[in-house]
Amino acid sequence: MPSDQTAVLADVDSMLRGVLGDFGPDAEIDRDTTFRDDLGMESLDVVSLAGRLQARYGNSVNFAFFVSTLDVASVGDLTVGQLVDYIAESLDKVPAAS
Amino acid sequence: MSMVRLNGVDLHVEEVPAEGIQTGTAVLIHGMTSDSMASWFLTLAHPLAQTGLRVLLYDLRGHGHSSRPATGYSLNDFVGDLEALISDHWQVDGPVHLFGNSFGGTVAFAYAARHPDRVAGIAAIESAPPTADWFRRMGSKLARVAETLADAEAVANSRPLVARRVRAASELLAQTSVGSELPLSVLPAPELIAGIRCPVLCLYGGESAVKELIGETERLLPHSQHVVIEGQRHTLLIKAPSQVQAHVASWLSASASV
Repeated sequence: MPSDQTAVLADVDSMLRGVLGDFGPDAEIDRDTTFRDDLGMESLDVVSLAGRLQARYGNSVNFAFFVSTLDVASVGDLTVGQLVDYIAESLDKVPAAS
Repeated sequence: MSMVRLNGVDLHVEEVPAEGIQTGTAVLIHGMTSDSMASWFLTLAHPLAQTGLRVLLYDLRGHGHSSRPATGYSLNDFVGDLEALISDHWQVDGPVHLFGNSFGGTVAFAYAARHPDRVAGIAAIESAPPTADWFRRMGSKLARVAETLADAEAVANSRPLVARRVRAASELLAQTSVGSELPLSVLPAPELIAGIRCPVLCLYGGESAVKELIGETERLLPHSQHVVIEGQRHTLLIKAPSQVQAHVASWLSASASV
């Protein structure tokens, strides 16, 4: 069964708000929200987000590696939807515990 | 986010574990003012970990998420932080590979001048050893940046997307002694720099003035290798990470086989 995208999006929403703190958006975060233009994410925020993803999903989601395959400029162009898809895809690859 | 307190400051540290069997340790050091560990984390940190290196990163004092004391920004303060991190916090046994971007490379050379036997190699990007000429250049650069950033609000309003980073750099220059203290740093004696025997790779952007320092670095370190990447500026690391990575990878494998 594919991972629940809605649940992942909710996770990502709270992690992004945690990273951005007072700088976080007032508006809702959805799949089309972009890292740089909508959230004002800076490169160091991406490092913090990688840490939170690691804490939440462990080694099954290697976001840090994922971003290192993009060039630094395109990290800003990432959308929340792309991140959610990457997480869901990674979680689906993890063998079921049963 | 991991913070460690040492030398009276709180430093933000991160680690990317080696993939597979660990073959060594790398410490990645970023540059002055608007730089942070992110420029390494988003570029070479993971490729290096894939080659078997345990990769260690930190934000220099006054930068990124590390604390910003009012004073304490001489070269010796920065080198002291690196010493404490490597030996006390990370507890690295054996020599480390040091990767430095701009001023971060200078911290790497200064550490190696103090501890030549504890460094396995230095890869410096748009950087130079701690020489009087280089510190004069950094001093005037800091003064120019301070002037540009003096009106932080105006800068921030004109470029909202970089607002926080610009504001942080502006506060570092306005609220601390870095601009006056760093250029007056006590520098290591040239013979100590010349005592660095590990492999040294220096990369430069073809459009940047830093390459004017190649001659002096070669005189001090005749075994050092120098590569100029055409079309790049001082932002070489973040603008051309795959080219930087390719040069670093072949240098690493060549120095490993010596």
